[in-house]
Amino acid sequence: MLVAWAIFKKELRVYFVSPLAYVFLGVFLLLAGLFFYLGVTMTGEASLRVMLGNLSVSLLFLLPLLTMRHFADERRSGTYELMMTAPVPLWSLLLGKWAACLALCVVLLLGTALFPAILAYYGDPDWGIMATSYVGLFLVCAAFVAAGLFSSSLTDEPVAAGLIGVVILLPFWVAGTAAELVETDWLRTVFRHVSFLAQIEPFSRGVIDSGAVAWFVLFTFGFLFLTWRSVESRRWR
Amino acid sequence: MISAQQLTKRFGSLTAVESVEFQVGRGEILGFIGPNGAGKTTTMRMLTGFLPATEGRAVVAGHDVFDEPMQVRRKVGYLPETPPLYRELTIGAYLRFVSEIRGIPRGDRVRRIGQVMDEVGLAGWEDRILGSLSKGYRQRVGLAQAIIHDPPVLILDEPTSGLDPAQVAGMRDFVRRLAESRTVILSTHILPEVERLCSRVVIISKGRIVADDSLDGLRRHAGGGVRYRIELRDSDLLAIPALVGALAQVDQVIPGPADDGFAVLDVKAPDDPRTAIARLATQKGWMIRAMERHIPSLEEAFLAIVGAER
Repeated sequence: MLVAWAIFKKELRVYFVSPLAYVFLGVFLLLAGLFFYLGVTMTGEASLRVMLGNLSVSLLFLLPLLTMRHFADERRSGTYELMMTAPVPLWSLLLGKWAACLALCVVLLLGTALFPAILAYYGDPDWGIMATSYVGLFLVCAAFVAAGLFSSSLTDEPVAAGLIGVVILLPFWVAGTAAELVETDWLRTVFRHVSFLAQIEPFSRGVIDSGAVAWFVLFTFGFLFLTWRSVESRRWR
Repeated sequence: MISAQQLTKRFGSLTAVESVEFQVGRGEILGFIGPNGAGKTTTMRMLTGFLPATEGRAVVAGHDVFDEPMQVRRKVGYLPETPPLYRELTIGAYLRFVSEIRGIPRGDRVRRIGQVMDEVGLAGWEDRILGSLSKGYRQRVGLAQAIIHDPPVLILDEPTSGLDPAQVAGMRDFVRRLAESRTVILSTHILPEVERLCSRVVIISKGRIVADDSLDGLRRHAGGGVRYRIELRDSDLLAIPALVGALAQVDQVIPGPADDGFAVLDVKAPDDPRTAIARLATQKGWMIRAMERHIPSLEEAFLAIVGAER
């Protein structure tokens, strides 16, 4: 656990001493601001519904860029050899990296706290819905970061890892649209269960759906497990 | 302390290392040498547990590398060919991180990091960013990283590559000091370094061990062994080789072309035959111009062994 904590701190430090975290924060807040403005002017609601929905889709494209360097860079710079010859259990390496990315996501989400503040000043937002919406976004981040780490473990090329990450996540977005289009009932149900947008929908209504929470937890652990297998199996090649 | 037993590594159809076998005792500095691509790095990576061996096993500090990887990792300090540095971090932050994952107790970290930085010549450099360091300083940080947990076994993969001559000398002194209380394997293709540092040498070529000997043994056996160059003059030059060859102390005499009226002999003998030859020359009334002993350098021995393999 101490080792995972050390890795967590190191990864966060690497993010914040390089321009990466700040560029990310900037891009993310710019998008959030845009979605917030559009949402409020279009619906006239004192809510973050539109902004949060769109942000979660943006995360699908942004988070793989955040995670892509993890294993790819370690292998290219040779630090992977340090990780694999120091007494670092693989799970603490994964946990440390995952938690560090997620912590950066929390910083991003905290950055959007300005918008609820604006809503509170000019209107009367529903704080319960606001809170559950953020819980939903947090779960989306946790899940996407895990998938991003997995894609990073597949290749030594960071850009390729980023692209693979997006490709892995795309079906979970497209499934939502597919659910609208298909005629067959059972297929629609399947698509709806695969779609992450359908899963966060209850959160934007103020509901913490245990099924949806389970979906995200399973998604996250599933990809962390795959990452573990992938890192382990690459040692043998 | 280190024992490689029939270590073999295959990458697909390519056999990088085949049935490598050697032992390194406590307090020994083993020079692990060979041409580029001979399998040095692969072997070292198997000893550290970074690469699993296809066949065979390795035991380091009493633990099987495959069965007890964590125990081995705790006892080995490893400097890979490229120092494993995070470019974005400062030297201080990096060494703190390494000391944390190496499990150095919180209370000892600051003292230990300071001590190690002094030892490798980085005192006062805490705040330098790793990505901005020159090759020599990166190598020093790499070394600091390898010794921070005071490991009984050190595995150094080309610790002096890319260093300038002054830095090479510094690194050599440093490795020698380290080895006083540790077991060291050092890979390199700079032979004079091995001659000054190592007591024993393992030569690997094309993935196989082709020599495992002490420095003296290697010189004596390879490259034609110790030879003597004798230059003598007499009225009858042609009779000299046969007379010298008849001495009991002499194994073999190869006459060279006469030089300036002197017979030049290349003499092979198990023990120094020069007093015997001098005595003979005095008896016969020959003139002596030169009696030189030639001990092959490690380089000659190395080229003889590796060359013979090719």
